Amino acid sequence: MKNTLWKVLGILTLVYVFTLTMLVPLGPGLLEFQDVNRVTPSPLDGKSIPEYTIIGFGTHWNQQPESLQVFVQAKGQLAALEVLSVQDATHATVGLNLPYSLPAKSWNVLINHPVDGTLLLENGLFLSDRFIDAKATWPAPSFTEHPSQLGFHFPYQPRIVETIRNLMLHVPLWFTMFLLMGIGFVASIKQLSNPRNQLNDDRAVSSVQVGIWFGVLGLLTGSLWARFTWGAWWVDDPQLNGALVSVLVYAGYLVLRQAVDDEGLRARLSAAYNLFAFVILVILLMVLPRFSESLHPGKGGNPGFNSYDLDSALRAVFYPAVIGWILLGIWMYFVTLRMKRVKRQIELLP
Amino acid sequence: MTRQSTWSRYRYLTAHAFRMEWREKHGLAGLFLFALASVYACYQVAGGRASSETWNALAWVVLMFSAFNAVAKPWPEDSSAMRHYLKTALRPSEWILARMTFYSAILCVLALLIFLSFTIFLGSEHLSLTQGLSFLLGLECTAIAFASLLSVLSSIASRAGAGFGLTAVLGLPLIIPIILISTRYGTDILKGILWIDTAHHLLFLAALTGGIGTLGFILFPYLWRD
Repeated sequence: MKNTLWKVLGILTLVYVFTLTMLVPLGPGLLEFQDVNRVTPSPLDGKSIPEYTIIGFGTHWNQQPESLQVFVQAKGQLAALEVLSVQDATHATVGLNLPYSLPAKSWNVLINHPVDGTLLLENGLFLSDRFIDAKATWPAPSFTEHPSQLGFHFPYQPRIVETIRNLMLHVPLWFTMFLLMGIGFVASIKQLSNPRNQLNDDRAVSSVQVGIWFGVLGLLTGSLWARFTWGAWWVDDPQLNGALVSVLVYAGYLVLRQAVDDEGLRARLSAAYNLFAFVILVILLMVLPRFSESLHPGKGGNPGFNSYDLDSALRAVFYPAVIGWILLGIWMYFVTLRMKRVKRQIELLP
Repeated sequence: MTRQSTWSRYRYLTAHAFRMEWREKHGLAGLFLFALASVYACYQVAGGRASSETWNALAWVVLMFSAFNAVAKPWPEDSSAMRHYLKTALRPSEWILARMTFYSAILCVLALLIFLSFTIFLGSEHLSLTQGLSFLLGLECTAIAFASLLSVLSSIASRAGAGFGLTAVLGLPLIIPIILISTRYGTDILKGILWIDTAHHLLFLAALTGGIGTLGFILFPYLWRD
């Protein structure tokens, strides 16, 4: 009973994770703030003002379109824009009724809506043809901030958008791979200190065999993510190179085992090589990317997922995902180990 | 003559490795010929004078393959009888240290040769004297890192009885981190950055070499056990 409980728990956790990963909707966000190269007379004073479209992602502007408010903001200065029309849930036209003298060129675009709450598009507006006067100020417009009325949802991240669900696969897969390789590392040290015990060699090879699958899956999910966010299946990045090389190093471990026939010698040689492999794994994935420029989150000065995705909805799925994948990995490791032990027993039979 | 201290045995073993190599000069000559021929092949492939990017890339690749070629030679201790005899006379860790030193020296000479032939064949127009010397420094540091890693890996491979092919399979992935750091250093140097401003790469390389060397030093006795 005790032996099956944690396995059932692991599978149930993964079922929970997959269900939520696929079903929880993504929150709203702002995609673009575009100049449409057209002027319209302002409904307030009849002056000609340039027209812009604002494009949202998953927003609900068709509900209560009259309460949609659009602002631009730079250097503590806030300005309300005139909403000319709302086409549908994600498209609206606004008039840019800003004075000629402005305190800054680059502006953040904000919208405020009773359903979606406040959304931000950083540096969404860039005005290159205005006179820049740092002292140009005007009184802040008055508005009522609406708290968002959305249910449980994953946060909208620019450029990542729907692929944020990959967080539940990619990151825990690498965590599991690390844990399994760590098991292999400890087993190899034990193997070297006590060469007579074949069990530690079996442990090391089982953990590497399972861990390499998690590494390959981590590479594949990462490649998919890179295609969407960075535009290429593979980019020259220290973190990516490190990941590929460490999988190759462990593949070398399996090749080395195939090359040796004598069991004792094989156990000793592969244990020695495994220590190298783990040290290289730590250097490649934990140390080196931190000292070089990297696109990958958490490396090269980029914030990790924890600091910019800190969101209760993500955490409610991500932490169970880590636990679920690790439990599955451990289970696979135990099954592989038992298979090896059983095969050894069968060979010993008369 | 018995040698009491580890240090004197280590010195003797290193000197012995050089003596043995010197007796059979065709090994050394083959090594240098391989390096020269690869540089010449690069010269032909790159179509004469190379741009500094090509120069940088080819220099590291030639050094890497020459290093693999250098460690491919079988050693007398690879035979089981010789190993049994040596175990009575010395410690395995002394042997691996001597072996690392020997390979480091050979690869340093090889790196110098590769650098000189590169400047002759592929041109040195884009290199000032300081840049050239800084690049050479990087090559020498990399050669030592290669030597410490490959001497352990080739002994693992020869112990497995699989020969050179296994050294390449085990070594190529493990050598990539070293190559990554080195090429980054080389790129910086060829961009005109002063070596001291990009010396953290060399420091990292030294740390990596130290780590690999220590690991090999600790692990080697296990490889000799029967």
